Amino acid sequence: MTEAVASPRAAALRPGRAVLIAAVLAVALAVPLGLDPQGYPIRVLTLTLLFAAMGQAWNIVGGLANQISLGHAGFFGIGAYASTILLRDFGLSPWLGMLAGMALAALAAAALAVPTFRLKGHYFALVTLAFGEVMRVIANSWSSVTGGPVGLSVPFAPDSLWMFQFGAARPYYYICLGALVAVTLVFWRIKAGALGYRLRAIKENADAAEVIGVDTFRAKLQAGLISATLTAGLGTVYAQFSYFFDPDTIFGVATISVRMALIAIVGGVGLTFGPIVGAFFIIPVEEFANAALAGRAAGLSAFVYGAVLIAVILLKPEGLLALFAALGKRWRERRR
Amino acid sequence: MSSGASDYRSKTFRLGRRAALAAGGAALAMPFVSRAGFAADAVNVGVVQPLSGANAQFGINSRNAIEMVAEEINAAGGIKSLGGARINLIVADSTSTPTTAATVAQRMISQQSVVAVLGAFASSLSLAISEVTERRGIPLLTMSFTDQLTERGFKNVFQIVSKGSVLGRAQVEDSVALARENGEEVRKIAILYEDTAYGTSQAEGLRAAAKGLGLEIAVDEGYPHGITDVTPLVNKLRISGAQLVFPVSYLNDSILIVRTMRQQGVTIPTVGGAAGYVIPDFVQALGDLADGVLSIAPANYDQAPEYTERFRKRFGYFMVHEAIEHAALMGCLVGALEAAKSKDPAAVREALLATTFDSGWATVMTGGTVKFDATGHNANAFPVMVQWQKRELATVFPAKVAKAKAVWPKRG
Repeated sequence: MTEAVASPRAAALRPGRAVLIAAVLAVALAVPLGLDPQGYPIRVLTLTLLFAAMGQAWNIVGGLANQISLGHAGFFGIGAYASTILLRDFGLSPWLGMLAGMALAALAAAALAVPTFRLKGHYFALVTLAFGEVMRVIANSWSSVTGGPVGLSVPFAPDSLWMFQFGAARPYYYICLGALVAVTLVFWRIKAGALGYRLRAIKENADAAEVIGVDTFRAKLQAGLISATLTAGLGTVYAQFSYFFDPDTIFGVATISVRMALIAIVGGVGLTFGPIVGAFFIIPVEEFANAALAGRAAGLSAFVYGAVLIAVILLKPEGLLALFAALGKRWRERRR
Repeated sequence: MSSGASDYRSKTFRLGRRAALAAGGAALAMPFVSRAGFAADAVNVGVVQPLSGANAQFGINSRNAIEMVAEEINAAGGIKSLGGARINLIVADSTSTPTTAATVAQRMISQQSVVAVLGAFASSLSLAISEVTERRGIPLLTMSFTDQLTERGFKNVFQIVSKGSVLGRAQVEDSVALARENGEEVRKIAILYEDTAYGTSQAEGLRAAAKGLGLEIAVDEGYPHGITDVTPLVNKLRISGAQLVFPVSYLNDSILIVRTMRQQGVTIPTVGGAAGYVIPDFVQALGDLADGVLSIAPANYDQAPEYTERFRKRFGYFMVHEAIEHAALMGCLVGALEAAKSKDPAAVREALLATTFDSGWATVMTGGTVKFDATGHNANAFPVMVQWQKRELATVFPAKVAKAKAVWPKRG
């Protein structure tokens, strides 16, 4: 598809790219210092980083193995509910609750893998979609534990790193930045490593991969477990950042599942920087549309947001990174 | 990972970027600076409502009411204790997503320095906003029902309506009391509910209330949301001997149930739980068949027609309860601003807690006056029972505020 996918060597860090990454990271670290720590811009940036990390976690299964999951909200919500319920009932630090949620999500992913990873294409997407919906229904009906349809509030606590709670957005910004870097490193290691080769083989042709000795089920299971675990961890981060969530949002198809996939796809599916570019495009556009247009006609902001997305996909189905690459190439050629 | 050379390069790059960011930020901030200058005297009030999505109609009703009250206040000379400061509404769409609602609230707090936020109809949206407003010390004025809002120890939430659990209990208790007023002792009731999150949780509340009164639940049936034929349900109802029926559904299913009951001549009094039962769409769909249908309501427009008719005149439909409650909240906020003589949110919060609001739009709530207790709940509010009579909603219970006598079907 693109050079990065075709030749795994491209995943290795080139010196020019290392400089660029260091520069971007330095900017990312410095930006909050110039922003109101409780303000609106830093909140949008924090959400953007969080969604970039979510898109990246999705990218492990969706991008590398081309297993389009539309049920990652299931894992995301497991993470959010696990840590919040443990905090509410036992006063357990959300960091420990996060580990519990990640373990639960790994179990759920393993249980889901047995019947689904034999499935291909649309069927896999449909089953994962159903998984997310089942989780939503459970959270809605099991009121004694989940709080039911009203949702769950994270108990109020003073600022504390151990209790993962801060009045201002700035600490969350750095936590989300750290999460994005961590998930991206995991993605990059997998992509450059043996598992990445196996997943790419499955993506190109699962039967051929099996013939040459790739244990396709095992490779997909490993990728699925890692992806689900990371997603659950991010669910805890989301719960602690927004302090409140309800089943329809946290297990939502449009709010979480599809958006995770969309961020990776719009940015460039399977590419290390795809979800990051995707999130930095989608979340601000959505915010800007809401801020600029919501006061006018009802639904106009959602309409504009949708129209922009359609335009991007029509213009460059491979994603924004491919679009940038094409523009960069044209620019360089013109300069010559 | 990075060499010394790249360190050096990244540093110079960073400086350039920071300068560019500062310049860009300044450019972006320009409109706000000029607007702040223009609106130096105005009081910014945040309005976060679901203007798109499933709850859009309710959000729009609420916004209409808030805008109408703000215009009336401004036309009458603004906030007098602040030198005639005008109310400047900052309206934003929460959509149906709690995260968006919270983000939008954050935006208006940090960019428009709002003194308070009004919103956001749906409980999940209001809960999400309250997490932001509490941490920023901005009062949130709301008409969402859920008990959670004022039971988390928050200091900046003001809930003007009866809580959800109170409404649920009153739906059963008040209708039984109303039946007694009409010479009927209720022993058996029927509960029909759509099998959604909303339906099942409401049905649970009804069951608990019925149990508390020692009533027998003769029919307890869930049905799929969007059901197309309710004849079997209505037949079951007819032979059950139930004396009251509680069909829990948002709008379309309850319309179908009431219509089928009427067509089959089943006259068991039907009691709704606000939501779709007390909106113009209900009577538009059913016409005269709506007559006699009861519902619990947190407020009703016939309690203060001198105010609520202004809404009908302007917007062409009766003042629905969320509009009444938001108008009352706006009335309380105006009163608090007058008392606080300040645009400081903390002072406004103090005034909201200290004042008994007994004039202007604050009087349209049930109870006639509004007084927030230490938890921020309006202790004076109580639910009323309303009944469709000649295509209007009439308050029929409790007697102290009833505007009409309940029409009760003759049994037999």
